Amino acid sequence: MKGNKIIIPIAIVLLLAITGFMAMDFFGVFEKPNENPYEYNLDTFKDVKPQDISHKEIQQIFTQIEALRAIAIDKDDYIYVSGADKLIKYDKSGQFLHEIETGFDAFCMAISEQGKLYLGSRKEIQIYTLSLELIDTWKIHAENAILTSLAVNEQNIYLADAGNKIIFRYDLNGEFQNEIGRKDPSQGIDGFVIPSPYFDVALGRDGELWAVNSGRHQLESYQEDGRLISSWKKSSMGVDGFSGCCNPSHIAILSNGSFVTSEKGIERIKITSPTGEFLSVVAPPKSFDLGTKGIDLAVDSKDRILAIDPKRKQIRIFTKLEE
Amino acid sequence: MSKDEKNKDLSRRDFLQKGFRLTAALSLGGLGIFLAKDASSEDMLWQLDPAKCVQCGRCATHCVVTPSAVKCLHVFDMCGYCDLCGGYFRPEAKQLHTGAENQLCPTGAIKRNFVEDPFFQYEIIDELCIGCGKCVAGCDAFGNGSLQLQVSHDICVNCNQCAIATNCPADAFERVPSSKKNISKGFSGGEDV
Repeated sequence: MKGNKIIIPIAIVLLLAITGFMAMDFFGVFEKPNENPYEYNLDTFKDVKPQDISHKEIQQIFTQIEALRAIAIDKDDYIYVSGADKLIKYDKSGQFLHEIETGFDAFCMAISEQGKLYLGSRKEIQIYTLSLELIDTWKIHAENAILTSLAVNEQNIYLADAGNKIIFRYDLNGEFQNEIGRKDPSQGIDGFVIPSPYFDVALGRDGELWAVNSGRHQLESYQEDGRLISSWKKSSMGVDGFSGCCNPSHIAILSNGSFVTSEKGIERIKITSPTGEFLSVVAPPKSFDLGTKGIDLAVDSKDRILAIDPKRKQIRIFTKLEE
Repeated sequence: MSKDEKNKDLSRRDFLQKGFRLTAALSLGGLGIFLAKDASSEDMLWQLDPAKCVQCGRCATHCVVTPSAVKCLHVFDMCGYCDLCGGYFRPEAKQLHTGAENQLCPTGAIKRNFVEDPFFQYEIIDELCIGCGKCVAGCDAFGNGSLQLQVSHDICVNCNQCAIATNCPADAFERVPSSKKNISKGFSGGEDV
């Protein structure tokens, strides 16, 4: 009989629990009405460990440029940005200095040591003084050209053409010299895979040309005659590599030869060693609006990293944390 | 019957005759206008504007037709023919092959065909596509946005009040004339593809 005294309360509690559960199941609303069962979620790949972040954002400059696409810095750290129909010059503190209407959609920009600014649209290059006076215009000889990046040194200007998936070398008089990166297995050149109009080039410390083979998640360096020097690649959904069909979308090179890279899909800026090992994150995905693409990069003489944010129409400036 | 009563009868008859004639004339005129309008106007159909679409998944869950009349459309002239296609592979895919565990599409409705190294073509199998937009989101994030959702007019029953349009958070559904029934983005935009 003593056992019955224990069993009955337990049975009552169990019965109440089951009744409650059934009532919740019947009347309760468990499904969130706006939940998307087919959501494409990259959140887990966007997490960055705090110890991996090496830089802080110190300044934002609002440019008011539509389709902001290009940034460059001259040897005195003056900042130039361009996009649809505008070219703007700022001093290194971000103070506005001058603005002109270019009459075309700029896709890319580079500044030579001699003080000339080269502004590229799809098939045309405008050349300006650093006071933003137009001095010349070149037409590109290639059909279907989509110029997405320029790099210039004392002798040459390199044009990355995403339309033809090739780099053109011109001399500074506008004479075509040679192509770089056409597929040639005998020279170990795989050819550029450029699925979308993100095809960036930059000059290394020794004057070598670095190009992003974004469809292969690969960076390749070339001599001016088109001979391949070296390459490295890193495919990964993690922070240590590049993901999607075409990343990194943009690069810049620090004074120690390390690469600053920006990506689309998982919006972030990070630093890798000259041979491609992941070093740190400059700006994690949470610092960008979802869907931000085309984060062009530049590095000034103090190794500050300047990035354009086309969604916010801003120039964003990052310095090392310990500074 | 007095003279006044006779006049009253006549006026009533007159009134009824005139009323009948007017009603007949209005009916005939209305019918004529209706027929003329019907002959000159086009059918209006529901369509989804890919530029506004946010891939919320409701095209898959709210259509009165099962599976949904909204399908993925591939605008080939925008495609990068990527090996690592963001619309085909799950973000965490370990290998770039056609194993089901690597595919993003919940119903396996995208067919991957080798073209030449390293390019692949992606085809949508309409019968399997449920219009969830997951591939569209993946393609938008990493690629050129060549995968887009569109209402398939062969399947759509053209409800007077479209259940998806009512629930679309981006207000991406609109009525379009039957002569211009697609609103795709890109080089083939606006044409029947």
